[in-house]
Amino acid sequence: MIGVYDFCGHYDWTFEWLRQQGGESLVRQYWDEAIHQDSQRHALELIRKQGFAGMATYWGHTLDHEGAGYHTSAAEGVFRIDMRGCPSKGFLLRNGLGAYHDYCDHCMGWIGPMLKQTGFVVDHEHNHCGQCWWEIRRLSDQTPPSEPGTLAGSNDVRLRPHWGGAGARRDVYRHSNQPDDKVGE
Amino acid sequence: MSVQDSPCVLPYTDSKKTGAGDFYFAINATFRFIEKRFGRDGLRRYWQEFGSTYYAPVTAAWKRGGLPAVASYWRAFFDAEPGAEVRVDVTSDRVILDVQVCPAIKHLRAHARDIVPCFCQHCYYVSEAAAASAGLAVRVEGGNGACRQAFLPRHSALLPQDLAQIKEAA
Repeated sequence: MIGVYDFCGHYDWTFEWLRQQGGESLVRQYWDEAIHQDSQRHALELIRKQGFAGMATYWGHTLDHEGAGYHTSAAEGVFRIDMRGCPSKGFLLRNGLGAYHDYCDHCMGWIGPMLKQTGFVVDHEHNHCGQCWWEIRRLSDQTPPSEPGTLAGSNDVRLRPHWGGAGARRDVYRHSNQPDDKVGE
Repeated sequence: MSVQDSPCVLPYTDSKKTGAGDFYFAINATFRFIEKRFGRDGLRRYWQEFGSTYYAPVTAAWKRGGLPAVASYWRAFFDAEPGAEVRVDVTSDRVILDVQVCPAIKHLRAHARDIVPCFCQHCYYVSEAAAASAGLAVRVEGGNGACRQAFLPRHSALLPQDLAQIKEAA
């Protein structure tokens, strides 16, 4: 049986299996169709109906269940997540797993299209060491990402010493809904 | 026995005691996606390749430890699956998993998810692939929420798995 205890290892292995079968485009189709539109359709329904409140409900539930080290912040027109200990990437790092070349892309791969469908857009950075941050605003909102500490205070992952520490390699997204929209570090 | 008491039995370990049940949604959706793209044979190939590569450390442990290692693995495995009710018995010639409540089917049903009809076949294909290089085989009977799985030495007189003995999930 394939279980959920080590699901993230299964997930990572599956990305690479799909890449070998049909290239990166198949991996992106998988994130959109299987994860966004099928597996995580409850997230889509919540956020479509409740907007920012739905984000707080969804990520509060799912990150608690996954045992994440995280903090969420909300202000007028923006919902922010600071992840200081990603349970998913952390599992791979602790177990020496890494079949797919960029596991962290999967979040933008399903969350990006899901938020686009519900009328939202993302500023996001991850450092491939289990830390990331997200700021979600309405598609029409051109506000740039916040300065470190202004929305999340001391919980802002960008203020933590390991954010840019050894091994960190940041991928940066601005006003994006797609996993391939990286604008560099 | 808890996961914390047997950290070396599972090949990949986590800081939390049990997995998040919502990941069963993703497992089910992954099977649906792959079957849609590659057909039933492609899905079976995916399961077999997963069983023989990702679970290679399990195969190695079973090869070293034989049936007691198989039993230890499955006890630790189901301890870490939320909602599982499974009895694991080991005899001189086999290990029997009596799955009274399959955690995956239970969670998918509780959340009104459409379950891929051949979902329960993955237990056979994944485990058979993992077991083969350890000189073992698995035979599955039942499914759709409860089943019986037998792990036993692979030998020439063993009848092949009859897929009709594995129920469709609904």
